[in-house]
Amino acid sequence: MGARDFLTLEGCGRAEIREILELAAACEEGRMDGSLAGKTVCLAFFEASTRTAVSFELAARRCGADVISLSERGSSISKGESLVDTVVTLDRLGADAIVLRHPAAGAARLAARFAAAAVVNAGDGCGQHPTQALLDLYSLSRALGGFEELAGVRAAVVGDILHSRVARSVIPAFRAAGVELALVAPRTLLPLEAEVWGLPVLSSVDEALGWGASVLYMLRLQRERMTGARVPSVSEYARYYAVGRRHLRPGVRVMHPGPVNRGVEIAGDVVLDGASLVPDQVAAGVAVRSAVLALATGVEQEVAA
Amino acid sequence: MSTRSGSEAELAIRGAHVLDPSSGLDGVADVVVRGGRVAGVGQNLPAARELDASGLFLFPGFVDVHAHWRTPGREDEEDLESGSSAAAAGGFTGVVMMPNTDPVLDRPALVSGLVRRAERESRVRAFVAAALHAGLAGERLTEMRLLKEAGALCVSDDGLGTQSAGVLRNGMLYARSAGLPVILHCEDHTLATGAVHEGAAAALAGVPGTPASAEDVATAAALVLAAETGARVHITHVSTALSAALVGFFRGRAPVTADTTPHHTTLTDGLVSTLDGLFRVNPPLRPDADREGVVEALRDGILDFVATDHAPHAPEEKELPLEEAAPGFLGHETAFAALYTGLVLEGRMPLGRLV
Repeated sequence: MGARDFLTLEGCGRAEIREILELAAACEEGRMDGSLAGKTVCLAFFEASTRTAVSFELAARRCGADVISLSERGSSISKGESLVDTVVTLDRLGADAIVLRHPAAGAARLAARFAAAAVVNAGDGCGQHPTQALLDLYSLSRALGGFEELAGVRAAVVGDILHSRVARSVIPAFRAAGVELALVAPRTLLPLEAEVWGLPVLSSVDEALGWGASVLYMLRLQRERMTGARVPSVSEYARYYAVGRRHLRPGVRVMHPGPVNRGVEIAGDVVLDGASLVPDQVAAGVAVRSAVLALATGVEQEVAA
Repeated sequence: MSTRSGSEAELAIRGAHVLDPSSGLDGVADVVVRGGRVAGVGQNLPAARELDASGLFLFPGFVDVHAHWRTPGREDEEDLESGSSAAAAGGFTGVVMMPNTDPVLDRPALVSGLVRRAERESRVRAFVAAALHAGLAGERLTEMRLLKEAGALCVSDDGLGTQSAGVLRNGMLYARSAGLPVILHCEDHTLATGAVHEGAAAALAGVPGTPASAEDVATAAALVLAAETGARVHITHVSTALSAALVGFFRGRAPVTADTTPHHTTLTDGLVSTLDGLFRVNPPLRPDADREGVVEALRDGILDFVATDHAPHAPEEKELPLEEAAPGFLGHETAFAALYTGLVLEGRMPLGRLV
């Protein structure tokens, strides 16, 4: 089977997402164990990452792949080798899939131009983070009782949408799954043309609940953006854009891609509350990334058969 | 048309449609070239050699007031030989080289050295724009009178702009005393923090955006200061509809001229979706409404002419994600073809206006 790049969720369809989530369920049940035997998965992380790198590595190992991990420190990346040259090197060494994390949008697409191996985007700048949005949908559909239950659910994406690759994958993926979305952020953390998504723009978590949101998808606020030009103070931000215990009406669920700034995006006593899907999101990472690696390397057909 | 062709022989170019609005020529005629220069235009002119150009247009040599030939310092990207060859291939017989070289052209010896080299090495007439301030750092004015004696045609802050309005104002006043025109790159660095135009395409792609205001605010400031100081100011690479309108407002109020580029009149920020470093340029490609406004301003004479901002880079500086790539497009060779295809053939502009 041929390699299939996995770069963006922009333009993705409902059937495609459903296929991946069903495969992820098979992975979780152990039906994909060993399916990547003989395959080589290279993790090329040009930017620091903990949970994404770890869950991709676990996913690859659980499926039986050989894993080569290349991080910024102690590799040719730190010696100034270009992205293209690093990718070509991994490709010629025989990688079947290259999992790429990079600080610039479009890095994965550029890598795909130069690699015969499948390129899997593990986050590129403020561009895309497709596996994150997929594991979000996986854990949310589990919590709601199935993929079909996503249709018509109202979810608010709250926080730094301007700088969020997670938002740029969550928005098209959730919509494809039938979720209705609203954006909640101060204008300093939204693109100037935020209306391009055709979604309501609201100005607080309270407003989002008034709009009918039952899912609050909280985005991380980078520390360097907490004070100064874009947000006047953490306390003002938290007053309007953090989810607290008072927001936890029955049926409300809280999500966050991690790592959480407690007290900034989510109150400390909510992070591990029953309403929080944050631990489930992390747990879903291995199954969903196994499914993506299986699709990328073309082994999923053999398993499904 | 090379000025260094060396051939003293006469050549008659016959049957071409000669179009030169500045001299009123617009019809089929013979043009005789002698020693690399036009010696006569008329009917059935005798000449030793002939070239049949029936069915073709013949234009005067174009002038490009904005080019980066990367000399001195980055001759791996472009030098006088390659830059002037590209210009000649695109029909340009006069080119102004911008001062953001390495080192910056901010001292008389650097300028006189480049002027002398250009006389020897360039295939077209090449002029030097010296820096408006030392190192293009926006603080200390250059020795403009000495720079002029060294052969500078004008002064410019191209590539970086001038962030302090006070420095810009004094620069204009001093340039006026020195008798030098000022070519300005209008960009406010407190607003220009991104890699592409901040619009719908940037929002979807997740590439850091620079708002149109980064150009508009700086253009407005430059125009106000030009009106106050009376300096001869030329605003280069106008890329937004509002900046073009501002130039229009100051027509007759200040001694101002302005240009736009082939790419800002023919391409849009829709290319941001490719995420390809090839398409990074400064000012960035704009939305269609801006492109439209700039084209109209050019057609109506609010913008005086097109300049290419020809800016070559090494492959490893462009084969990068969009936000990491070096900004700059090539322009000399493709300028006329792009404008002819994008504007004239589309019925947006008469050919005579373009020439």
